Amino acid sequence: MFTQDKCLSRRILIVALLSLLLLIPAAAQDNIDLTLSIGARGFGDAAPILIEACEGEVGGISVEWERISDVPNESRSIYVTNFTARNSKPDIIAVDVIWPGDFAARGWIAPIEDYFSAEELSEYIPGFLAAAQTDGHTYAIPLYIDGIHLFYRADLLEKYGFEAPTTWEDLIMQAEAIVEGEANPDLAGFVSMWAKIEGLFMNWLAFFQGAGGTFFDADGNLAVNTDAGVKSLSTMVGMLESGVAPESVLTFRPNDARILFQQERAVFLMVQDFVLAPLTAEDSPVADAVQFTRVPYFEGHEMANTTVIGGFLLAVNKHSENIEAAAEFIKCFTSYESQVEAGLIQGKVPTRPAVYDDERIAADAPGVAALGANFVYAFARPSATTGTAYPEISEIMQTEISAALLGEKTPEQALADAEAQILSIMP
Amino acid sequence: MKQANRAGIYFLTPALLIIAFVLVFPIIQTIVLSFGRNSTSIFTGYEFAGLANYQRLLNTPRFITSLNNTIFFTAVTVPIELVIGIGLALVLNRRFRGKGLVRMAVLFPWALPTALNALMWRWMFNTEFGLFNSILTDVGLLVERINWLGAIPMAMYSMMFVAIWKTSSFMALLLLAGLQTIPDDLYEAGSVDGTNRWTEFRYLTLPLLRPAILVSVLLRTMDAMRTFELPFNLTDGGPLTSTETLSLYSYRAIFQYVNFNLGSSAIIIQFIIIMAISILYIATLRRDDQ
Repeated sequence: MFTQDKCLSRRILIVALLSLLLLIPAAAQDNIDLTLSIGARGFGDAAPILIEACEGEVGGISVEWERISDVPNESRSIYVTNFTARNSKPDIIAVDVIWPGDFAARGWIAPIEDYFSAEELSEYIPGFLAAAQTDGHTYAIPLYIDGIHLFYRADLLEKYGFEAPTTWEDLIMQAEAIVEGEANPDLAGFVSMWAKIEGLFMNWLAFFQGAGGTFFDADGNLAVNTDAGVKSLSTMVGMLESGVAPESVLTFRPNDARILFQQERAVFLMVQDFVLAPLTAEDSPVADAVQFTRVPYFEGHEMANTTVIGGFLLAVNKHSENIEAAAEFIKCFTSYESQVEAGLIQGKVPTRPAVYDDERIAADAPGVAALGANFVYAFARPSATTGTAYPEISEIMQTEISAALLGEKTPEQALADAEAQILSIMP
Repeated sequence: MKQANRAGIYFLTPALLIIAFVLVFPIIQTIVLSFGRNSTSIFTGYEFAGLANYQRLLNTPRFITSLNNTIFFTAVTVPIELVIGIGLALVLNRRFRGKGLVRMAVLFPWALPTALNALMWRWMFNTEFGLFNSILTDVGLLVERINWLGAIPMAMYSMMFVAIWKTSSFMALLLLAGLQTIPDDLYEAGSVDGTNRWTEFRYLTLPLLRPAILVSVLLRTMDAMRTFELPFNLTDGGPLTSTETLSLYSYRAIFQYVNFNLGSSAIIIQFIIIMAISILYIATLRRDDQ
């Protein structure tokens, strides 16, 4: 009896194991495995919720979230390694607005316009989508947008009877008057991110546009060393010299400037919109005093001011084994409903203008809707047109702008040098 | 005997193969890539460009600046670290109460990872809310805040300060090991001959410590010539490129501009310089032995 029993149970065990073996490949065939690479802070709490929703909606896929660094240069290093090695993972990557032109030219990301109708594409902010379009192809789909705004201390402006400035001339006058009136040696007039980082180039572009400048003129020629260029750079240098901007601003990244402003130590703050959440948090000393507006223009250039944008798009790895499934996932992840959700959970500003008017956003995330209004004037950096040369162009601009701010060169000299170097590397 | 040797080789082969794969292959790849153009691999799409990258580098002011920065950084920090290191080692070599605690305190900066150190110092150097400026202004020594990391050449000095703070203890550790090999009876004999503190240090300790000094200076020089984490985390090479080192330059050429070939040739130039310095040191050491 005993041996028979043992025999039987062994048989059952074998059958069970065999059927398990059969099950494993079956399960794998049913579901396409995709990897989504996006920063943990960038999309934060919204990511797992949207991933689960989209797995259900697209069907037949299971998506793994690869949490990468939120510092663009660090995540870019990871992609450089993966894509030069022709790795098929990650399938879907979050790309900074300045990357698609470069990545596409290197053959790292796949064109995905075939999976979207023209109507579907037209629902995204055109200026933002344009950053991912070259040679008639679309290489990435906008996920969320951010940009440079002018934050200010409404309480201080009101105390001195000022309205939010619309021109740089006004802003400088107001900053000087308030700093003088407050007589607080720790109070700075204007802070921003003027360390030698991408943000510095964005910052100068915002000044430059406000003086009526364009990086390339109507004929496609480089137009950096122009009246608008010199005017914008000399104004920045002048703000340092007159003390409106403290000297330490030259070491500031966005968050350093935000901290100073949050400590009630600055009147104006010019950085991207991610600062709105911490500045208006309950424990923030400036929660009730902070307001924001569009970055100013220079007198005589009404409405030339733009909102220099950043933000992220989703692209598909060219060597992915499931480009179509990845594109379908992106479609769901950036859909109207997904963007409402992301705006509500994470405060991310949607890339579909229609979402700004959504009732739920207006009720529960009014900041998102207000920021959205500035993106009507969105301006993307010249990255799509310059392709693989963009990182070096930006580096040249950062270096030359820094040289002028540090007083190593005159603004004219710095811009002339920048133009000469850019022309030497342009294809 | 011979058979045992052969067995030994068999046992070593797998390890040697792995080392060849992870160490020798990348070195060869870097050398070959440094002579290429638009190439990211030596197997597919490799295009030979001769010395073009080296020529371009030598005509790139930024590369020359990073080379000068690296040499300046090394030339200043290593001697200072050596002097402080000898001082620390002499203190640690004495017998006194609480010696274990002091040794631990001295080793602490070295035990912390450089990247962590750099981030910690970046906060302390912060112009607006950093430790140094707030102490100095509170005491009344400063009216204007010092822009430790945002001014030329102040940023370089700040970076050197951190490097010296961190690696003097490493020097001290190596030198302490050297000090402990000096037998006590030599000092006893010296005192019979009437040495004082200074003559004892000058004619006994220093000559006998010479090999340890050479080794520690060699190790530190090689390390300083390759400095990467410190500028990367402390100053990001700025302001402008005033604290950009050779390693940081190569990293940027490869990962930011995706120019593997230019980056590789910068690495090879760095390699040749370090190699030359090492040979010089080793030759000196060998002459000592004879």
